[in-house]
Amino acid sequence: MSDQAENPRIADQGIIHAEVYDLGAQALSLIDAGRGLYSLFVRTLYYTFRGRREKGAVAKEMFEIGNRSLFFLCVTMGCIGMIMVYQSGLQTQRIVPDFSLLGPTYLELLVRDFAASIGALMLSTRVGAGIAAEIGSMVVTEQVDALRMSAADPVDYLIVPKFLASLLMTTVLIVIAGTIAFITGFATASVFFDVSADAYFSMKLIDAGDVITGATKCVAYGAAIPIVSGYCGLSTHGGSEGVGWATTRAVVNCSLAIIILNFFISGAALIIFQP
Amino acid sequence: MSAAQPLEAPKNSGLTNLLESIGGSALAIFEVVGGMTVLFARILSRLVRFQFDLPEFKRSLYKMAVKSLPIVFVVALFTGAIVVIQAAPLVKRISGAESLLGWGAGFGVLREIGPLLTALTISGRVGANNTAELGTMVVTEQIDALRALAIDPISFLIVPRFLGIIITLFAMVLYADALALVGAAYTGQGFLGVTPRTFYDGLTTLLHFSDVANGLIKSIVFGLMIALSSCHFGLATKGGAPGVGRAVNAMVVAAAAGIFIVDFLVSFVMG
Repeated sequence: MSDQAENPRIADQGIIHAEVYDLGAQALSLIDAGRGLYSLFVRTLYYTFRGRREKGAVAKEMFEIGNRSLFFLCVTMGCIGMIMVYQSGLQTQRIVPDFSLLGPTYLELLVRDFAASIGALMLSTRVGAGIAAEIGSMVVTEQVDALRMSAADPVDYLIVPKFLASLLMTTVLIVIAGTIAFITGFATASVFFDVSADAYFSMKLIDAGDVITGATKCVAYGAAIPIVSGYCGLSTHGGSEGVGWATTRAVVNCSLAIIILNFFISGAALIIFQP
Repeated sequence: MSAAQPLEAPKNSGLTNLLESIGGSALAIFEVVGGMTVLFARILSRLVRFQFDLPEFKRSLYKMAVKSLPIVFVVALFTGAIVVIQAAPLVKRISGAESLLGWGAGFGVLREIGPLLTALTISGRVGANNTAELGTMVVTEQIDALRALAIDPISFLIVPRFLGIIITLFAMVLYADALALVGAAYTGQGFLGVTPRTFYDGLTTLLHFSDVANGLIKSIVFGLMIALSSCHFGLATKGGAPGVGRAVNAMVVAAAAGIFIVDFLVSFVMG
């Protein structure tokens, strides 16, 4: 409170003070957000094991997150599959005119990274925005306060079903979308670079490390999307305009979370699985 | 006659329902595409006559571009790092590939990943925000108020934002390309022991300006896609405050799908 009272005085003292003040305020809000996310995550985990669950809530969320994202995810991943193979084909063409490794290498990349990361980025735009808009409008219309008044923790009632559903459906969706990306990639490879099906559909470069890395990413992203967007939704304030802001922040923060998680998981996997 | 038909609809068989829902979604997609085309034509007609509000344009540019720098900074650095981490096993497998790391990472970042990820980030941050803002204006009848004051909402509100998003994305892709390459170079040093000097040598000798230009042209096309869908869904908002949330959601999905489809087409056209 006293900070806000001092704010105009600090602004008067010149641009450097104002900049430092801004920087400090931003750092503080970042720390706050980190703490809020952590506490939400812990409470979600707690209620996952200890909470009481409404019958069918998880199934409903699974339909909402899974089935309704399937078409969108398949279209985007189908497109990216074609683009990826086309670009890497062009890239290969410049050094070695040998396309026998195109399919296996692409599959390895897909399993290890692209299917999970690009798929999750797409999911965060659809699922993350949906969760934040839903919870945000509940906050703004005071339905969340009503839940608290009825002694139902909004985390237990709203976040946990989405968390469980997203954990499972993200993995399922990514496996389906990754398969589609691989198949559309084959279409490009056979039309533009004359790659035969035998050479393309080969799993010789996949090892346990790739599969574990990919699976870890699916689970990590599946957990991150509902937590981050749920946090953005729950911290909505300021009426209907606030819901728009919450949605925007959810999409941006989910994407950011995915990219940062990707960096750490990939780095760890590189250190663990590469001798 | 026509009023009686909808009453019979629930009795239809599963196949008819399926066809109906497919037709409904197809019509909805055509409606969006058509709406965006009409909006684009309207924007162009104001642009060629230079009828747009310059102060609003400057405000949008500041709000969209300058305020997006931190997130583009973080996303680009991490993206560059991830590209090198993903390429690392390949580099280790093929001996002598260290000198090609800069080329490989540069090819991926400049042509594809830089523009794509920046576009997705900007679409989430700037595009969605713009839709929410326009949607709120529509819902609270501020656009009608503008019309009542004989101010053209397209030239006053839409064209500045349209130009703002396209210029923002172009500028951000320039930043993101550079930052991603810096991130990639230092990750290469950290994980693979490839010195930044070798990295930049590989980058500059094997890549041509056409690779950079390819990515930059893509960024303009993506910007067009984001700007059009963001303005279209904002203006097409209806149904009060929940409508704004729905419009934002629809915009983000449409822009993401549009970016991928356009990316696919542009990649093939430019080769």
